[in-house]
Amino acid sequence: MSVATPLALSFGAPLGLLALLAIPLALLGLYAARRRRTAYAVRFPAAGTLALAAGVVSPWRRLLPAALALAAIAALALALAKPQRTIAVPVEGASVVLVTDHSGSMSATDVEPDRLSAAETAAETFLDKLPKQTRVGVVAYSDGPDGTLPPTTDRDRVRGTIEAQTAAGATATGEALQVAIDTLAPGGDKSKAKASAIILLSDGKTTTGRDPVGVARIAKRLGIPIYTVALGTEDATIPNPVSPLSPPIAVPPDPETLKQIAQVSGGRAFTSDDAGELRGIYSSLGSKLATKHEQREITPGFAGAGLVLLIVAGLLSLPRLGRLP
Amino acid sequence: MSPSPRIPMASPAARQGPGPMPHALLDALAIAVTQRVAGALPGDRRAAGVGAGTELAQIRPYAFGDDVRRIDAAATARSGEPHVRLEVPERTLTTWLAIDVSASMAFGTARRLKWDVAEGVALALGRLALRHAGRVGLMTFGAGEPTLRPPRGSKAGLVALRRALSTGTAVDGAHDPHALADALGRVGRVARLPGLVVVISDFRDQRDWARPLGALRARHAVLAVEVHDPREASVPAVGRIAVVDPETGRRVEVDTSRPRVRARFEALERERRDALASELRRLRVDHASLSTDEDWLLQLGRRLR
Repeated sequence: MSVATPLALSFGAPLGLLALLAIPLALLGLYAARRRRTAYAVRFPAAGTLALAAGVVSPWRRLLPAALALAAIAALALALAKPQRTIAVPVEGASVVLVTDHSGSMSATDVEPDRLSAAETAAETFLDKLPKQTRVGVVAYSDGPDGTLPPTTDRDRVRGTIEAQTAAGATATGEALQVAIDTLAPGGDKSKAKASAIILLSDGKTTTGRDPVGVARIAKRLGIPIYTVALGTEDATIPNPVSPLSPPIAVPPDPETLKQIAQVSGGRAFTSDDAGELRGIYSSLGSKLATKHEQREITPGFAGAGLVLLIVAGLLSLPRLGRLP
Repeated sequence: MSPSPRIPMASPAARQGPGPMPHALLDALAIAVTQRVAGALPGDRRAAGVGAGTELAQIRPYAFGDDVRRIDAAATARSGEPHVRLEVPERTLTTWLAIDVSASMAFGTARRLKWDVAEGVALALGRLALRHAGRVGLMTFGAGEPTLRPPRGSKAGLVALRRALSTGTAVDGAHDPHALADALGRVGRVARLPGLVVVISDFRDQRDWARPLGALRARHAVLAVEVHDPREASVPAVGRIAVVDPETGRRVEVDTSRPRVRARFEALERERRDALASELRRLRVDHASLSTDEDWLLQLGRRLR
């Protein structure tokens, strides 16, 4: 699982941080104890020779026990404040359906190396970022949804379905979305569509079939957000399939419709005209969808660390100094 | 070196006094000291030039300005010309006592403090020096600028000596590694006539004193009295102790239960005292080593016998 884990540290009881004031107090105490020991030292003219006989104690060895003890106090004070760490955990039973357009316009080469290949590579990245237990489905469409894979955890089958696409045909976005919604929530059952999402990648206008915005409303009702990615540049063309001599066909993306779909369904809309950017979008979607942030209390870790530091400080200083630092 | 300010002095807290000084022992010591300085009897010591004395130096014709009382009747009668008789002048012995009054002298763990021993030695040798019309000069060092008290004889000398000793030692916190060397140098400049110089010190943490001491030895009889305490030679196993050097104020925390530390301390101290003894031997200076746990007067007498 390669889910990005933000290392945010928060405190359940921030008032406990006041215990950190014990550190300056401890320093003051150490200083006072040192002064006291000096005040009650025995007069001894051969003190210099005695120091020579005892040998030189390196400064770090002299200061290490005190430093460790202070660190222990710091760790225990932090433990008192109930430290919590925010971590990303996979959502149980999350499913994502990749709805991928492979109409004829996907063969346009305005995106390196061409739109379809870029989409496939980005989908790979997306799969890598997803937690393993997240189920992924695929709906590949052109004239209509043709390659459909119900949500599964078998990544190889997902990859196979994605790679099997070839660019040809029209764009029936509405139908494809409907199929995706049906696989996520069979029979319009809202409870089955929990923690689900659809990622729609398209590069052009819906040319055939149902109005996709209407389908997005159904998705909204079922609580399935649709994240849309508009791929391609404004002035992209493909060779005319009728005859190489005919003028090429313009295939600009349709970001307005896709934006509307995302807005209606409660998802987000992205536009991309570059393979790297596309991968970035998929990567961030991969770590965002199907994971949620949870705060875990890590007090025992801090308390344990404080205890260990205290014991080490004692072991270092007791045999040599006969006291804690 | 810039003159250091005078350090306040006080009688050490645990002062025991030098203890009894039996006359018999002092008399025995007198003989030993007398032998050391090649006989301090009247007329024993020559001085430069001529003056009043008992030993004949020369008889020469009377010259204008000579004291007529010096005219030798027999020589004048024999030669028919007035002659005067000149004698070798007599000088009494001048003893210089250079006494260490540094804070490290105010230490002792046995019968008395090192300072008590130093005081006793100074008193005993001072009283001996004041016999036969001798004079005693004092030089105390280790408390800032060394203090010189010019030689005095008889009661005045004894009073000056007692007064100098009654001021005690320097309070803690003053350290001058050249105090001994400076004091010896000053004694060498002041003491023109040959005499006896007694240095009473613990010779601890002092530097560069060999040269001025050697210069003194060239003209005077020199006696070095080293005072030490048994605790300075070895430390007992009493666990962790914090000690502070009374002069430098250096604070040391040591675990004395470690045999290695005690052994090393003993070795270092022995090495230091051996180096001191060999240095004094090299300078051909008499060396008396007195401990605070023994009868110092007996020790001194034995050492000088």
